[in-house]
Amino acid sequence: MRISILLLSAAAAWGADQAVLERGQKEEQRQCLACHSLRLIHSQRLSRAAWTRELDKMAGWGTKYTDREALLEYLVASFGDDKPLPQPSVSDDGRGKK
Amino acid sequence: MILHNDRPEDLETPVKYFDSWITPIDAFFVRQHLPRPAAIDPAAFRVKINGLVTKALDLSVADLEKLPQHTVPATLECTGNGRAFYSPKVPGIQWGRGAVGNGEWRGPRLSDVLKAAGVDTRAKFLEIDGADNGVAQTPDFVRSMPMEKALHPATLLALTMNGESPQMHGFPVRLIVPGWDGTSWVKWVVRLTPTATMSGGFFMNPGYRYPKYPLTPGTPARLDELEVIEGMPVKSTLTAPEDGAKLPLAPTTIRGFAWAGENAIERVEVSTQGGQKWQPAQLSTQKLPFAWRLFTFTWTPKAPGYHTIMARAMDTAGNEQPILPPWNPSGYLWNGIDRIGVTVERP
Repeated sequence: MRISILLLSAAAAWGADQAVLERGQKEEQRQCLACHSLRLIHSQRLSRAAWTRELDKMAGWGTKYTDREALLEYLVASFGDDKPLPQPSVSDDGRGKK
Repeated sequence: MILHNDRPEDLETPVKYFDSWITPIDAFFVRQHLPRPAAIDPAAFRVKINGLVTKALDLSVADLEKLPQHTVPATLECTGNGRAFYSPKVPGIQWGRGAVGNGEWRGPRLSDVLKAAGVDTRAKFLEIDGADNGVAQTPDFVRSMPMEKALHPATLLALTMNGESPQMHGFPVRLIVPGWDGTSWVKWVVRLTPTATMSGGFFMNPGYRYPKYPLTPGTPARLDELEVIEGMPVKSTLTAPEDGAKLPLAPTTIRGFAWAGENAIERVEVSTQGGQKWQPAQLSTQKLPFAWRLFTFTWTPKAPGYHTIMARAMDTAGNEQPILPPWNPSGYLWNGIDRIGVTVERP
């Protein structure tokens, strides 16, 4: 009985987290894309404190968040300083040149 | 190019393209804070000079072309070049080795342009604005530099880079501040304003400031602990072989470049034994302030396996590259001794 309750709570917590992360990703698309591409965000690996300072900075530059907490959770979960570094994107040099 | 950001464009040069003293324009790094201005008609482009001057001016490119033209070879480096090497990680574009290039810049001296407007003796700083503008409330890119550096004979209002005028790199008119980091090299210059005191917005304060003394890594700085960055520290970068390369058990040429802001490079040393022993590298003949020197070192690996190659530079003022530069909250001015790893394959 106790085990099944624990499992249920874990599943509920996981579900809630997933929902928050999805909301966070939507907030990213709403708020961040107007000024710059997402590549700028996704290449960072920052602590929660550093992401919080970034969101503060962007608020100072006119971002009006509608779901800031979810955005922060999404950034920390996806691009936290414990995550592996992304592979660099390299262009096909010389392609398309005439 | 290594694509860090596509809107606005932030492009890094892969080290394999650093095989010439002058970096070709199409391999030159691009760093933009704000979207590029819409297509510029060079014939309609004007540079305003106002503020503490006796005669406000509105100069065209043709007016600037009439002034004596000077050529300055100089290394342009993004202030955040090497940010990716700092630990703990800091926000900002995660530049590796390639937010740097060596160009040949040509145009009138900024001092000649300012003389034409008659700068007031009360003017101790020069405010510079480019044609780019912020999105939403993102601040405009405006910089302020001491008049002494503005009047330096090597400081140019460049009209060309390697003989061309690429808009991507800030032309038709770009400020060239040899020996200083890229933040000062304002692109698409549309206004020059002599002022009595330091001015500028976010990109002067708190942007592009560096701690006056080393901070505990990972901790933010107070504003009064930061000062404006002026110049670039001595640094060397390995460009060949590439980090992680596989090499035959045969002589290999190790290559790279070194530069030192307003000083020239005196010496570069290479270690193929993890820094246990250092040997002098061969330097290219150009021993100039502002511009990099290329170096080579012929290495004959004695055994297969993994080898760590390092390079360190010393400048004409006696400054040497540190093993580890001080961590700082924005990850500026990385100049740690460069290090790559290669695997020499068994014959």
